[in-house]
Amino acid sequence: MRNRASNSLSKGKIRQSWSKYNLYNLQRLRSPATANRTFFQQKWTAKALGRAYHGEQVREGQWKRMFSKRIRSVIPMDTSDLAADDGSKISAGRGSGLQNQEKGRPSKIIPYTQMAFAPLERRLDVAIFRSLFASSTRQARQFVIHGAVTVNGQKMRHPSYLLNPGDLFQVDPERVMFATGATKTKFERRETRQLKQKDEKDEDSEEAAEAKSEEATETKPEGEKEDGRDTLKALMSQAKNIMSTDKDVLPAKRKQELRGFQKAVRRVLSRSGTSTILTDNLEAQFSELTLMLNAKRAEKKPAKQSKQQSNSEESDSAAAVTEETEVASDKLSEAFQAAAEGADVDASELSDEEFEILKRALTQMRDNPIDHSKPYATPWRPRDYMSAFAFIPRYLEVNQNICAAVYLRHPVARPGSAEVPTPFGESINTPAYGWYLKRRW
Amino acid sequence: MAPRIQSRSVSNLLPYLTSSSSTSSHIPSLCSSSQSSRHFSVTATQQTKLRRQMFEWLATQGAGLKHHTPGDTNYLRMADGSQSNRPFPNNSYFISEPVLSEELRNEVYVRVKEQNKSPRAVSVELGIDMNRIAAVGDPLALPYARAVHEMIPTTPLAQAGERQTYHEPINDLPVHPATGAQIFYPVPESRPFTRIDAGRVFSGAPMLEKKAADKISHPSDLAEDVLQKPSTIEWVGKGEKARQVLQPADVRIPHPQLVQLARDRAAFPEERRAVAQRHAERLERQEKAEKERAARTADRRKRSTETIKPTDSRFAFRIQDAVFTEQTVGKDGRAPWAPGRRYGVPRNDRTRGTVKIPTRVNV
Repeated sequence: MRNRASNSLSKGKIRQSWSKYNLYNLQRLRSPATANRTFFQQKWTAKALGRAYHGEQVREGQWKRMFSKRIRSVIPMDTSDLAADDGSKISAGRGSGLQNQEKGRPSKIIPYTQMAFAPLERRLDVAIFRSLFASSTRQARQFVIHGAVTVNGQKMRHPSYLLNPGDLFQVDPERVMFATGATKTKFERRETRQLKQKDEKDEDSEEAAEAKSEEATETKPEGEKEDGRDTLKALMSQAKNIMSTDKDVLPAKRKQELRGFQKAVRRVLSRSGTSTILTDNLEAQFSELTLMLNAKRAEKKPAKQSKQQSNSEESDSAAAVTEETEVASDKLSEAFQAAAEGADVDASELSDEEFEILKRALTQMRDNPIDHSKPYATPWRPRDYMSAFAFIPRYLEVNQNICAAVYLRHPVARPGSAEVPTPFGESINTPAYGWYLKRRW
Repeated sequence: MAPRIQSRSVSNLLPYLTSSSSTSSHIPSLCSSSQSSRHFSVTATQQTKLRRQMFEWLATQGAGLKHHTPGDTNYLRMADGSQSNRPFPNNSYFISEPVLSEELRNEVYVRVKEQNKSPRAVSVELGIDMNRIAAVGDPLALPYARAVHEMIPTTPLAQAGERQTYHEPINDLPVHPATGAQIFYPVPESRPFTRIDAGRVFSGAPMLEKKAADKISHPSDLAEDVLQKPSTIEWVGKGEKARQVLQPADVRIPHPQLVQLARDRAAFPEERRAVAQRHAERLERQEKAEKERAARTADRRKRSTETIKPTDSRFAFRIQDAVFTEQTVGKDGRAPWAPGRRYGVPRNDRTRGTVKIPTRVNV
């Protein structure tokens, strides 16, 4: 199906998309003028605007068949109110209670017409977009057609499949990461190309393949003399930076920190007893590192001694290696300088809380590594302007960890709120609802 | 035919192509630089007013929307400049409601799967809808999940000793279509008119006889009977118009036992332990009845797939799995009497008006 849904600025239509053009259009949306316009014209404009957002990928005839004038709604009941009265108090007298209830809460209206496009929320492609698994409904539709979506464990290739309450749908996590992740910069793209070229070259010989695997994990023996405690301290400060929730830290800066952190962790790992730890998988590396850290915390003094011993051994062996690697990130190098000046740092300074932060940073690093073979920028970070569109309606229960969601029930209206996510107010949705009624207003 | 561009001038094109491809990634506010690189364009490429305005907005007011602050929502500001939990400034009825936090989700998982508590009990404890309880699955970590949970509001798990904040209303009463009608129904003032009577009026059933009405002290008395034996619900109307009598809200809400608990508490404020005991017994009976009903439904479904008895028929059809032997499907497996799909025979879904899109996927 040809995509006619452009995000043009002149038309200013709003789409189910996370594009910045769409965000700008959303921000400048105003209710259409009603003065000097016939009722028919008002309804026409309203339905055109509404349909540009709700199911523009659905043909008009198809939508007309789906439309239902009956709107689902619920009233939240208070059990103590129900227990206090069997209904006869309210119906007493002339049918509205003997005296006016003083406690009466301000009753909110049920915004029924905000639910005009509710049947479209049942569609599989729309539900995938609502679960934040795709950056637009068009993209969600593509995921379905390309076979990346399962419903109840079976591959489903129809974007128009109407979910039933209780249906579990799952999208390939790699696709979700691609759809929601930031795009690569041109430098990252170049690195991807280089990686690909290297892969092609290395396919010839086994030796080259080994070298490649080493390259991929970026494991290089370090020729620097370091104190273990300093390394740990530097690790700590970087971990804090990575895990910090400060908005002043720019994403690029954070990425730089992450790279440095990764290198430092490798350096620590290279010092561990087992020689194969650097070529092992990430899981093994992580467990080894946490094991070393835990041991240090549990028995401080002996651990430090053994650490120093291992350090001296390390420096002996490292002296043979003349290869000097690129400079680590500024935080780390600062720490190294401090160590060179003879400043003594005690590993026991690390509190339990700090260990926890370090652990979390390690986990994050393991989950979110730099990998240029991925189609998105690594380490993964959300794409620009995603947060302005990030919400999950109540009728879906989403598990982002496995990129699966359950369609719990059909969306409902309740006093004061409607569950269908629509950018329009009643000035658009009410005339649009009237347009689709069989006996049109 | 118009003369083609000569090869000499084509080679001149190359620097233009390379320069344009490198500048295309620039923010188009620098339109003066792109002007000089276009040798063949007659008019200078001007950025439209709308595009300029958009990039201006993105650089100034919209700049904060580009990245989020972890733990905080980052939606468009309302018309008065205030930040709220409404993602759409024009729609005041749509609220970005909190989702389950990871800890709360794990807690649900632990209580249901490991402590073997019933979904009904966990729903009341944590204030989570029963459908949502059933949907919570196994954990597995990803950076995407962490980022999303930073952007949207979440319901945290209460610390030990604190009271758990309710995630959502759990006693939602669906509005029944029959209640949409406005009915003028005169009732003598001397007679109490309860929710049971209202339901009967809406479904067009005659008023309860006095003897039956006197037996019911409160509409919630019906809840347990209906749950134990749903066939006790009265039917009205004939033929196609036959319908069940609309039950009072006390019966139709997802947690009817809470009404009875509230009544008990009001009636016996001193006997806390006895009230709790009665509530536990009620809950147990309710769960037992639900389990039995589920088993019966499964049994009936199984039987109906094995045997089909059409109405107005003397016959019952027993359905068995197809056996693929030479006798049943022929030597080549394509005998005319063979069951299933056969090469060369068009499938049924090719006939006109047959929709191939499935309407349900069974687990």
